[in-house]
Amino acid sequence: MGLQAYLIVSALLFGIGMFGFLARRNAILMLISIELMLNAVNLSLVAFNAYHYFGANNTGAIFALLVMAVAAAEATVGLALVIAIIRTRQTPEVDEYSDLKE
Amino acid sequence: MVTLRNIIHSAIAMMVCFGSLAGMYALLGAPIVAAAQVLIYLGAISVLILFAIMLTQAGDANLPSPFHRQVWLAALAALVVVGLIGWAVTRTDWGNATVVIAVSVNALARALFTDYALPFEILSLLLLAAIVGAIYLARRPEDDEKAN
Amino acid sequence: MTVEALVALIPALPLAGFLFAVLVGPRIDRMPAHGHDAHAGGHADDHGGHSGHGGETHGAHGPVDESAFRPIPSEEEQRATSPHAGHADDLANSNGADGVIPDDLNDGRGQVGHVVEGGARPVYRSWWVPTALVALAWLFSMVVFANVIFGAHTYHVSLYEWIGSGSFHIQIAFLVDGLTAMLLLVVSTVGLLVHVYSIGYMDGDRGLWRFFAYLNLFMFSMLLLILGDNFLMLYVGWEAVGLCSYALIGFWYKKPSAAGAAKKAFIVNRVGDFGFGLGIMMIWTLLGTLDFGQVFASIGSLSPTAVTVIALLLFAGAVGKSAQFPLHVWLPDAMEGPTPVSALIHAATMVNAGVYMVARVNPIFAHSPTAMWVVASIGVFTAIFAAAIALTQNDIKKVLAYSTVSQLAYMFFALGIGAWVAAIFHLVSHGFFKGLLFMGSGSVIHGASGEQDMRYLGGLRERMRWTYLTMVVGSLALAGIPLFAGFFSKDEILGEAFGRGYYLFWAVGLAVAFMTAFYTFRMVYLTFHGRWRGPRDAWQHVHESTPSMVAPLIILAVPTILIGLLLGLPPESGLIHGWLADVFRGAEEAGAGILPGSIAATGNAGFSLFGIGGLLLLAGAALGTAGIWLAYRWYVRDPDAPARFVAAIPFGLGPGMYAASVNKYYVDDLYGLVWARGGVLLGNALWWFDAKVIDGAVNGAGWVAQRFGGLLRRSQTGHVQNYGLGMAAGLVVVLLAYLVFRA
Repeated sequence: MGLQAYLIVSALLFGIGMFGFLARRNAILMLISIELMLNAVNLSLVAFNAYHYFGANNTGAIFALLVMAVAAAEATVGLALVIAIIRTRQTPEVDEYSDLKE
Repeated sequence: MVTLRNIIHSAIAMMVCFGSLAGMYALLGAPIVAAAQVLIYLGAISVLILFAIMLTQAGDANLPSPFHRQVWLAALAALVVVGLIGWAVTRTDWGNATVVIAVSVNALARALFTDYALPFEILSLLLLAAIVGAIYLARRPEDDEKAN
Repeated sequence: MTVEALVALIPALPLAGFLFAVLVGPRIDRMPAHGHDAHAGGHADDHGGHSGHGGETHGAHGPVDESAFRPIPSEEEQRATSPHAGHADDLANSNGADGVIPDDLNDGRGQVGHVVEGGARPVYRSWWVPTALVALAWLFSMVVFANVIFGAHTYHVSLYEWIGSGSFHIQIAFLVDGLTAMLLLVVSTVGLLVHVYSIGYMDGDRGLWRFFAYLNLFMFSMLLLILGDNFLMLYVGWEAVGLCSYALIGFWYKKPSAAGAAKKAFIVNRVGDFGFGLGIMMIWTLLGTLDFGQVFASIGSLSPTAVTVIALLLFAGAVGKSAQFPLHVWLPDAMEGPTPVSALIHAATMVNAGVYMVARVNPIFAHSPTAMWVVASIGVFTAIFAAAIALTQNDIKKVLAYSTVSQLAYMFFALGIGAWVAAIFHLVSHGFFKGLLFMGSGSVIHGASGEQDMRYLGGLRERMRWTYLTMVVGSLALAGIPLFAGFFSKDEILGEAFGRGYYLFWAVGLAVAFMTAFYTFRMVYLTFHGRWRGPRDAWQHVHESTPSMVAPLIILAVPTILIGLLLGLPPESGLIHGWLADVFRGAEEAGAGILPGSIAATGNAGFSLFGIGGLLLLAGAALGTAGIWLAYRWYVRDPDAPARFVAAIPFGLGPGMYAASVNKYYVDDLYGLVWARGGVLLGNALWWFDAKVIDGAVNGAGWVAQRFGGLLRRSQTGHVQNYGLGMAAGLVVVLLAYLVFRA
C-alpha cells in the first residue's frame, strides 16, 4: 500500500499542476505550476527508490537531485524571460500575448 | 495554490507545498533529498519567484476571473490524466513494496561522482548556460549600446 | 501492251489527272486584265446564235404570259438562289470570293459566262489534260470490256502487297469479270461524257481547276471501287467516293445551302459506312481473309445467323451510299452541286456503288434468305416512297433526284428477290438514261438563265430543240416505254418478281411504274410545253446550249434507245445474262430468292411471249403509257385538273396528302428533330454534367480544402496555454492507447 499511496499523491500533484498551467492567466503562476509538476515527478522517483522497486540502488534519489538542478536552471531562465515579456507588454496576462497568432 | 486569486498567496502556498514535500522525502528515507529540496526550492526558487512577482508588479492586476477561457477543458484533461494514471497504478501489482529502505548517503555520494559523473558535469554546464541566459535576458537595452 | 497492264492503268490515269489539276491547274487558269482580252470576240461562237437572238423581237417567240413575269432578282436573291453564285476563290484572284459576282462577269441575272459587251473573258484551260486522261481511260476500259465480255476472260491483276502485318495481308489487286466490265462501261462512258459536258457547263467558273481535280479524283475512286478484288480496296474506294461527293456537292462552298448539303451527304453516308465497316470487320474476324474469292468460297462455313448479320451490315452501307430509306435524305439535297456532278455521281456512278457491292457479294446474300428479304422490302418501300414525293416536286433536279432514289430501289428490289442480272441490267440502262436526263436538265437550267423551278419554265421546246428531243428520249426510257432501255430492264425485274412469287411487291412495282411515267412526263410537259412563265427579259436569252453540252446528250441518247434491245432480248436470256452468268452462278443455282409455290419454283422459269411473261410485259407497257397520257391531260390540256383532283379526294385528305408529298413526308423534319435537336440537347446535357458535376467536384475539392484550412487556422491562436491543452489532450490519447492495448 505504501508505494501505491505515494504514487497516487504524485499523480494528484501532477494533475493539479497541469490544471494550473492550462487554466490560469498569470504568466508567473504558470511557472509556479510547472515547478509543482516537476516536484510531483520527483516524489514518484524517490518513492520508487525507497521501495527498491527497480533494484537495490540509489538511482531514484540521484535522478531526483538532477531533476531538482534542472528545475532550478529552468526556473531561472523562465523567470528571466517572463520578466522581460511582462516588462515589454506591461501586463502579466497570457491572454494578451498574441504574437504567435497567425 | 492554483486557484488563489492573489499571486502572493499562491507563492506562499507553493512554499508550504515544497516544505511538505521535503517532509515526505524524509519519510521515504531520503533525508539528503529532503535537504536538497529545502535548499533549492524553498531557498532559491521560491525566493526567485517572489522577486519576480515583486519586480513585475504582477500581483497588482485586477482581473474579472483569474482563469483562462479553457478552464473547464483543462480541468477535464487534468482529471482524465489523473484518473488514468491512478487507475493504472491501482491495477498494477507492486509486489512486496511495503518496507521503506533508507538511502545511504555514502553510497549516494559515491554513485554520484562515479557512475553518474557525466550527468553531473553536464548539469554544471547547464547551470552555466542558465546563468548566462538569465543575465542576457535581464539586462537593460542601454547596456547593449554601452557594450558596443 | 497486255490487257493486264491496261487494267492497272485505268484507275491510274484519272489519278494523274487529279494531280495535274491540283498542281498545274491554278497556274494556267488566269483572269486577264480588263480590256486586254484577246478572246472577247470568241464568246459569240460558244453560245451559238447568241448575237443573233438580240435582233429578234418578242413577238417571234410565241405567246408569252406577261402577267407571270418576275422582276429581275436583286443582288441578295442572286446570291441566295442562283446555282452559279458563290464562286470559289482561287490562287490567282480573290475577287468574287465572297460570292458576289464581280461586275465584269455579271449580266444582272446571277449568271456567269454571259458577259456584257466589253467585259473581260476569263481564260480557263485547266480542263483539257484531265479530260484527255479520262478519255484515254475510257479507251482502255472499252478494250478491257471487249476482252472480258467477248473474249470471256476474267482478269486478276495483282500489283503489290499493300499491307503485310502479321496475318493481315492486303494486295493491291484488280479483278475484272463480267460484273466489273459492265460497271466499267457505265462509269467510264458517263464519266467521259460528263467531263466533256462540264467544259461547257462550268465555263467561266473561277474554280474550274478545282472542279476537274475533284472529278478526276472521283473517277479514280470509283474505278478503284469497282476494280478492287478485296473488301478493303472496295472500302477505300467507297470512302473516297463519299469524300469526292462531299467536295463536289459543296463545290460552291460559299453558298450556305451547298455547304450544308455536302455535310449532310457525308454524314448520312457515314452512318451507312459505319455498318459497312462493321460488316467487313466481321468478315475478317470470322473468316480471316478479305479477298473476294476466298471469302465467297468459305462463306458457307459460317452459321446462318452470322451470315445474315454480315449481309445486313454490308447492306447498311449500300443503304447509305445508294440513298435508300431511311438514309435517302442526302440525295435530293445533293442537287445543290453543279449539274454535271448530279449527272455523274448521283445518277450514274456513285449511287450505283451500293448496287454493285450487293451484286458482288451475292454469295453472302444467297446464304441468307432473311437478308435478301430485307433488301427487297427496303427496295420496294423506297421505290414507292420516293415516287410519291417526286409527284409534287417543283424543282426539275429534285424530280430527277427522287426518281433516282426510286430506280435504285428497283435495283435493290431485284437483288433482293434474286434477279441479279435484271438488277445489273437496270443499273446499266439507268446509268445511261438518268445521266442523259440530268445533263439535259442542266442544259435547260443553263439555257433558262439559272431557273430551276418548273413553275417558271415552259415552252422551251421551241428554243432548245436538241435538249428537248434528247430529254424526251430519256424520259421515254425512264417511263418504261417499249423498245427503249428502261422497258426491258424494268419489266424484267417485274417479271422476275411475279415469277418468283412476290406478288405484293410486284403490284407495288407496277404502281411505281405508273407513277414514274407520270412524274417524268409531268416534268417534260411543264418544262418544254405550254407557255414561258419566267421573267420576260429572261425569255430573250433562252437559247440552246453550247455544243460541248449538247453533244453528250446526243451521244447518250443512242444507248438509251439501243441498249435495251441489244442486251435484253430475249428477256431472261439475253446477251447480258450470258455475260454475267459466271458472276451469279452460285446464287442462281441455289435458287436464292425464289419463294416456294411460285412459278419459278416449279421449274417453268422460261420466258414465253404468249404466256405469263408476255402479259406482264403488256401490263408494264400499258401502265407506262397510261402515266404519260395522264400527265399529258393534266399539264398540257387541262392545267386546272390537278387542283380539282386534289380537292376531290374523299375525306378532305387531298391538301394534306399534297403537303405531305411536297414536304418529303417530313422525314427531314423528323431527322432534324431527333438527331439535330436531340444532338443539341444531348450536348447541353453533357455540358451541364461536365460544368456542374465534374468541374463542381474539382472546384468543390478546392472549396473543401479552403474551408478545412480556415478551420485549422483557428488552432493557431498564439496562446501557449491552448497549445498546452493540445499537448494534454495528446497525452490523454497516448495514455488511453497504452492502457487499453497493454493493460
